[in-house]
Amino acid sequence: MTAAQRNEPGTEPVGQASSPAGAPVPAAHASLYELLDQCLKCNICASYCPVAAATDAFPGPKYAGPQAQRFREPGARRTPDHSVDYCSACRVCNEACPSGVKIAELNARAKAKIVQERGIPLRNWLLGRNEVLGRVGSLAPHLANLGMHNPVSRLLAEKVMGIAREAPIPRWSTRGTFGAWLKRTKGRRLKSDKKVVYFHGCSTMYYEPAVGQAAVAVFEHNGYEVIVPPQNCCGLPMLNNGEFPAAAKLYRSNIAKLLPYAEAGLPIVGTSISCVLTLREEAAELLGIDEEASRTVQRATWDMCEWLRDLHERGELRTDLCELAMLLPYHASCQTRAHRMGKPALDVLALVPGLDVRESDARCCGLAGTYGYKVEKYPIAMKVGQEAFEFIEDLGDEVEFVAADSEICRWQLEHGTHKAARHPAEVLAAAYGLYDLRKRQLVTKPGG
Amino acid sequence: MFDLTVIGAGLAGMLAACNAAKAGLKVKVIAQGLGALHWSAGTVDVLGYDPATGTPVSHPLQAIEALSAAQPAHPYALAGTQALAAALDEFQALAAEAGLPYAGAATAGENLWLPSPLGAARPALLAPKAQLAGALAGAPLLIVGLQGMRDFFPELIAENLRRAGHQARAASLPLELVTTRRDSNNVHLALALDDPARHAALGDALAALLQPGERIGLPAIVGLKEHAAALAELRARLGVPVFEVPTLPPSVPGLRLNAALRGHLQRLGVRLELNAEVTGLHAAGGRLTAVETATSSTRPRRHEAHSFLLATGGLLGRGIDSDHAGRVWETALNLPLAALPERTAWFRPGFLDPAGHPLFRSGVAVDRHFQPVDEAGAPVYANLWAAGGILAHADPVQERSLEGIAIATGIAAAREIVATRRPDEEVTS
Repeated sequence: MTAAQRNEPGTEPVGQASSPAGAPVPAAHASLYELLDQCLKCNICASYCPVAAATDAFPGPKYAGPQAQRFREPGARRTPDHSVDYCSACRVCNEACPSGVKIAELNARAKAKIVQERGIPLRNWLLGRNEVLGRVGSLAPHLANLGMHNPVSRLLAEKVMGIAREAPIPRWSTRGTFGAWLKRTKGRRLKSDKKVVYFHGCSTMYYEPAVGQAAVAVFEHNGYEVIVPPQNCCGLPMLNNGEFPAAAKLYRSNIAKLLPYAEAGLPIVGTSISCVLTLREEAAELLGIDEEASRTVQRATWDMCEWLRDLHERGELRTDLCELAMLLPYHASCQTRAHRMGKPALDVLALVPGLDVRESDARCCGLAGTYGYKVEKYPIAMKVGQEAFEFIEDLGDEVEFVAADSEICRWQLEHGTHKAARHPAEVLAAAYGLYDLRKRQLVTKPGG
Repeated sequence: MFDLTVIGAGLAGMLAACNAAKAGLKVKVIAQGLGALHWSAGTVDVLGYDPATGTPVSHPLQAIEALSAAQPAHPYALAGTQALAAALDEFQALAAEAGLPYAGAATAGENLWLPSPLGAARPALLAPKAQLAGALAGAPLLIVGLQGMRDFFPELIAENLRRAGHQARAASLPLELVTTRRDSNNVHLALALDDPARHAALGDALAALLQPGERIGLPAIVGLKEHAAALAELRARLGVPVFEVPTLPPSVPGLRLNAALRGHLQRLGVRLELNAEVTGLHAAGGRLTAVETATSSTRPRRHEAHSFLLATGGLLGRGIDSDHAGRVWETALNLPLAALPERTAWFRPGFLDPAGHPLFRSGVAVDRHFQPVDEAGAPVYANLWAAGGILAHADPVQERSLEGIAIATGIAAAREIVATRRPDEEVTS
């Protein structure tokens, strides 16, 4: 807390029932540039930055962030140095900073300024549009997978576009999109007074519809009717690639679509940890949007495991969980940690009998959004990912699955360890007996 | 529900968490960022200079007996020298268990005098074994740096050592021996020296510089994860004492200690939540029921616990903050601050005044049980304790007592917390 947030420092009444020390201050609302002055230049961020340790192309968060920022003040003519482009936006620096400087956000804005000055490379433009890619590929997923996932086109994509040929680009779902499944199973959906709004994100829609099916099964098992409203890409891939105006359009479009539900007091729950972070904090902060509609949606938005944990704390989560006797490494994504909400997946998975969850303390899987897809960054991403890969490998052959909240981490961990990666909601659905973790599909109930 | 939530992940907070977890408590540590250990030289400074006279202290524990009589509110006086000695033993055992052994001077209880990054003599009661051979009285010193390494100047160190009457000379080796990176900080260099081929190459180059009877001082970058092996290998190759001289931050010896303690926390099942800024609290019936931390949402995260330990550090660690208007406040729980001077008396005119600066003596006042008290001397909350740099009535900068106070009070507070845990609280989940 800062002095400005308090009335009279040191005069908090003692022993008064439920007396908050000061009004809880939304962290998002302290100006990024004000926070800049809090940097002591202590170098803790530089000591923990996984990218700077892997390559000297990135001078580290302290240099690229608070130190270089003085050259990017309004009125500065041109960004003198472009090494900030090598920041993967993993936010390990924010986490390590003892002074609360939002270094990753400074870097994101610096990248946007470079794009503003020089324009955006075609590759980054394309990587920012994964929703369009998802939709187009899903028209003919077999063909799209064949077209994209063969050595020749990957080599071409690398040479022409600069998209690393080895990088773990996801495969389009060949069992139909999540939307198609919803339509197909419309008659089977639970009706209830208790309702939850599901934000699935693009990856569930086009690449991992099973995550959405597992989520719906878990919601319904707990007596919630699932509303899946129209929605679009959260805008994070564009934010990561410095395309702020386009990202703002997507963000505002989602706010408009979700606002009626938030105003009606319904929880908006997402399974993609990074989409939730974008909706809840990142977009508004980076884009400088501070509007009532945006705040209303932010307040209503939850990560699925966070929401389930809350349900459990209120004694409302069903715990008719069957035993899942297995060793499960869990990697808390950078975005999970950036939520600053603890590790709700660990709290929820702890309820599953027999499940031996091991927490990775790896800093980052390396892929970091679209970072590791880029040919010049792929080797860095793999080097950064070693920490997580080794953690999983050290647990031995017994490990069949790994769990991660972010699709990006799941794809990278599968790429780096050849183990199947699952969302914690899938694991929970399996423990409810609703889901086959291996086949990645819902269990058909007898007579259902 | 946790038995204990520790606020702060520095030396005091992590040691207290280890101690309480070993005693069977369910413990969580929350912290805004990684602690001040990363800025420390990795040594355990207990008492280097007499707070009253500013003169160097040779036997800290004896001096603390006298200090405690003269300043009964000093954290050391509250802990007592026996508890301090026991806490130091506990720290040493914990560090050794993590593969990072610490030791003191050959004559037990005497301060070590070790070279600083400027070649001045720094007093410490315990040091990582890697720094011990740098104790200033003894064989001639060869201080070796790397050309182009930031903030480490062997010539400057050697010259200052010579001025103080020690036999010392300097040499520099090419940075390429250690790394081919164009740009590295101390952590990157230490990671590079985890590689056996790199420290073997460094060893060979050092052997060529060495003159009979000398010992070698290197910047504290000799390995991070493989530090013990790298140092042992260098020593075996050279056959003379090799020691580390601490650097400016990022400080690898501090990082190693941080990693060792975090490893303990993990093994003991202590949850650690970083980036957790305390923004509010809930209290009822004179007890703290929960603290709240900021999240990505406007909904704060609630941390409920039976007991809370505040170990957020002083002004540098940001347990205490100030502004230009002259306000000073405790950042997490808004506790009253004791020994707070008027704005005009915060600092003495000389930056390095041997008497220190009055502002640094301000902090949270605690009773004999390390419970924060109000102006009337009554505990602020029945289930709140405090330890480390946040405590009032000591100036760790002037006294060179930062780690000693953190260790003594962190462990003392943890023992108090463990002792007050009621049987009915043991069975709660």
